[in-house]
Amino acid sequence: MNRQNAELKLKQIFGFDGFFDDQWTTIDKIFNNKRVLLIQKTGFGKSLTFQFPATQFDGLTIIFSPLIALMRDQIKFLNQNNIKAGLINSEQTDDENNITIQNAINNQLKILYIAPERQENSLWQEAVLKMKISFVVIDEAHCISSWGHDFRPAFRRIINLMQVLPSNIPVLATTATATTDVAQDIQNQISGDIELIRGDLLRENLKLDVIHTENEEDKMAWIARYLKKVNGNGVVYTGTRVSAEILSKWCENEKLNTIYYHAGLDSDSRKIVEKEWMVNKFKAIISTNALGMGIDKPDIRFIIHTQITQSPIHYYQEIGRAGRDGKTAEIFLLFNPKDIDLPLSFINNARPSQQKYQKVIDALKQEPLGERNLIKATNLTQAQIRAIKADLLDQKIIRQVLYNGLKKYEYQYNAPQLDITTFENLRNYRLKEFDKMVEYTNTDKCKMLYLCNYLGDNNSRSCGVCDSCLNEKNKFSMDENDKEKIKQFQNNFFPVLGVGSKKSKQHNNKKYQVKFIGAKFEGRIDNLKITKEIYQQLNHDDKKIVDGLIQKTKKESKLIDGIASSYYGFSNVGKTIYKCKYENGKDYPDFLLKQTLIAFGKTFKSQKFDLVLFVPPTESGKLVENFATKIANTLKLPIFSIIKTRETKQQKIFQNKALKTQNIKDVFDINIDITDESILLIDDIFDSGATITEIGKMLTKRGAKVIVPLVIAKTVGGDIAK
Amino acid sequence: MQNDLVYWLLLSHLSRWTTLKTNELIVQIIHNQKITLADFFDLSCDEWIETYKLTDKEIGDLEAAKKELANYSFLMENMLNQGYELITLNSDDYPQVLKDNLKLKFAPPLIYTKGNKSLLHDDTIAIVGSRKAHDMSLKWTKNIAINATKKYQCVVSGGAKGVDQTALNESIQAHGHSILVLPQGILTASSLMKKYYKHIVDGDLLILSAFYPKAGWSVGLAMARNKYIYGLSKKIYVAESAKKGGTWSGVLEGLKNQREIYVRNPDNNEKNANNLLISKGGKAVDMDGFLIKTNIIPIQENKQMSMQL
Repeated sequence: MNRQNAELKLKQIFGFDGFFDDQWTTIDKIFNNKRVLLIQKTGFGKSLTFQFPATQFDGLTIIFSPLIALMRDQIKFLNQNNIKAGLINSEQTDDENNITIQNAINNQLKILYIAPERQENSLWQEAVLKMKISFVVIDEAHCISSWGHDFRPAFRRIINLMQVLPSNIPVLATTATATTDVAQDIQNQISGDIELIRGDLLRENLKLDVIHTENEEDKMAWIARYLKKVNGNGVVYTGTRVSAEILSKWCENEKLNTIYYHAGLDSDSRKIVEKEWMVNKFKAIISTNALGMGIDKPDIRFIIHTQITQSPIHYYQEIGRAGRDGKTAEIFLLFNPKDIDLPLSFINNARPSQQKYQKVIDALKQEPLGERNLIKATNLTQAQIRAIKADLLDQKIIRQVLYNGLKKYEYQYNAPQLDITTFENLRNYRLKEFDKMVEYTNTDKCKMLYLCNYLGDNNSRSCGVCDSCLNEKNKFSMDENDKEKIKQFQNNFFPVLGVGSKKSKQHNNKKYQVKFIGAKFEGRIDNLKITKEIYQQLNHDDKKIVDGLIQKTKKESKLIDGIASSYYGFSNVGKTIYKCKYENGKDYPDFLLKQTLIAFGKTFKSQKFDLVLFVPPTESGKLVENFATKIANTLKLPIFSIIKTRETKQQKIFQNKALKTQNIKDVFDINIDITDESILLIDDIFDSGATITEIGKMLTKRGAKVIVPLVIAKTVGGDIAK
Repeated sequence: MQNDLVYWLLLSHLSRWTTLKTNELIVQIIHNQKITLADFFDLSCDEWIETYKLTDKEIGDLEAAKKELANYSFLMENMLNQGYELITLNSDDYPQVLKDNLKLKFAPPLIYTKGNKSLLHDDTIAIVGSRKAHDMSLKWTKNIAINATKKYQCVVSGGAKGVDQTALNESIQAHGHSILVLPQGILTASSLMKKYYKHIVDGDLLILSAFYPKAGWSVGLAMARNKYIYGLSKKIYVAESAKKGGTWSGVLEGLKNQREIYVRNPDNNEKNANNLLISKGGKAVDMDGFLIKTNIIPIQENKQMSMQL
């Protein structure tokens, strides 16, 4: 097909007048059954380079993509243009996926989007044999390379596929972020002739700036000021979940409409936040890099990083989401020299110790195990297991095999020894990349050009609008006013313990949720809060479901969300607790008592309590008892102990929730009558919440009216080292 | 090479082609024309007719198969990813004994394995017998299996109830080498993989199938599999046979092909066809597998004598 004819068809099907040159070059190669690696910046129009050919092929085009949200958007667009497209991923129900598969088999789909993890699904493996496949696309192809910044093991399997696919089936791999090394790695892995087409990466509408600060408080002050004056909505990226939460609360304190977001939120909450952010409900969404690829908002007017990223690629990718509508967007990196500690520790501790690898290998030598059972057998965290298994799979020491539809890992006969030199090499490579990122913060070279060059684009020129091009070097220090406000805030902000009993149900595509908040229940239908008026007006079915959920919630637990006085990792709270608990055995000092009472007072001043209970210790003596007694005395409430009916091991040795829950199941009891009593439940540390949730259930059974947890410190994943 | 592998997959499971036809075509392509299967599939119909003398029907079958290429690629990637190996007729890994015994007529062009494939080059024996074998037969099977392991021989078994199972289990227990020949596709045998996991991992057991990977168990495949057991073995030991059935026909077939077959010498009161098999050429052995002189004169010797007369 020549370009003219193609552009006629393009106009017919998509309504566009023509192709960009690079788009046509790519499409032409695809029609000639070639394999292409296309590296182009965001906004180039990569989608068309595979969507158009897909409409012209006889059979099905399969698109591997990790970006669920983008998949949905693209499919909407395609269906609107009468091109039948479908998708298969974990967010669809099994039924939906099955229908899509059937359609693909019956040649009723032109384009099928699929998440790479699906390759492990037996249903997919059966089905794909029956499909007529004309073209394969790999989106975000940099995920193939372990040298890249976002390596995903599932993408490795795409490589295996590429190696066995007959060479006359065209393949298109696309990405915006691949350095020369990574591009080379991808080319090496996708065997056969693969041509590289690379465009320039200059994003003209992005205005890059580095703001030098001296501490975290400076950053907080700067952000509040900036958000108050900037037009439009944007993203603030933080290094940790805790900082995302704290920063968002600080902004709220400054009367700014922000929300926090991270992987610790349950998926329902995440969906709500994503939806509301897309419609500009918030000035800024403050998030870890969990707010990732695939949130395709065209009008992000600013992106602020409070934490330096691990490499210029990560940075380019994260800021690349700004200004997709072409209008100016401001990009800031707030940098304090101490910030290098966090990324360095990530890089240096990226992998678990060798012994942990051996644990996994030894377990799998005995029997094939799925992920959950592997976690149980080795007592490692899910994160550790995932990192280890990715490496073992990569080195072909283990394989993932389907046993009657269940995924299990097998140790291979004659497997090679674990090769840690690649880990060392990778670590050194990452350290070099990080050096380059630190260099960015200080460079006088055009910042945009610095990033483009790093990513292998040597064709762009200076942007003219970054701080380097404008000859500025921006510093910021907070003033006394800022200092005062921040201090006030830090003394009054308390982390929530989200253990309140809640139940949800999906029915007829509606989502019902009920949460016990103390005196009553709070309900939502499709995230719309059910007030008294709304409840009266509900139809019969809806009422029935809501009432049913209320009964279930009531029955299960009368535990409501509690409060901690601080995050474990904040200031010297964690260190103090650790010393008392595991070193000198002294009672918790007064300052912890004071801040806990303040947190309690501010949060539960309107709640009446009848008594105080405290969580019995496994080992740390009378620390919690003494602490709780002091609180009970201050509040003039009677205090009793919760009893343990059997010995348990310390929760902290169990690295994952499954084992922690198992450790304490049915362990707790009480020997007083607590019918209809409102209870303040005290412990020192809140980690997974398993203990408090279990106690909540038991107290509910014994007749409690409401149970409120109060602790000194809340951890946020991995705070308490083994 | 891996690109060629998918064509082997395609070619090996054409539904209307006999093994002989497939193997002959493969020989033509690889030996005579000296091109890869991938190249062969790229040729035009004219070349297929001219050089390979293919009929219209055969060409139709190949064209239809070509359309399945991408799908077979997914299947193959899936198998390789799970650690299965695909061994082609022309590979160094392919056991010579299988070629020698089955020849082009029956040697499977593609075999699927999991585990230590070097077992394919071991000194192999098979121990066969009825599913409903008696205790004596099972005891004998145990002895033969254990002796085999002592001699570093590899026991080939179908894993079926009775003699097969006993042979396999005894060999495994004695830390010997074994090959389990499946009566179904290799992807359909998860429970066996699980059961024998440790032995596979340790390199003592090789799982093997010559059938389409997703083919479920069927009587037909179970019968067909028997010739692969015979094909993989240098010697056959028969524990017990009835006068009809799988074991009976297998032994007769083997004797016809002049295989080395040892039959357990039965006690006088046993009601089975062992003696009959001995008379047809099976070598009688005692409870420990040693040759014994019997009162039965093999039929061939009779013929010779009568010819001399």
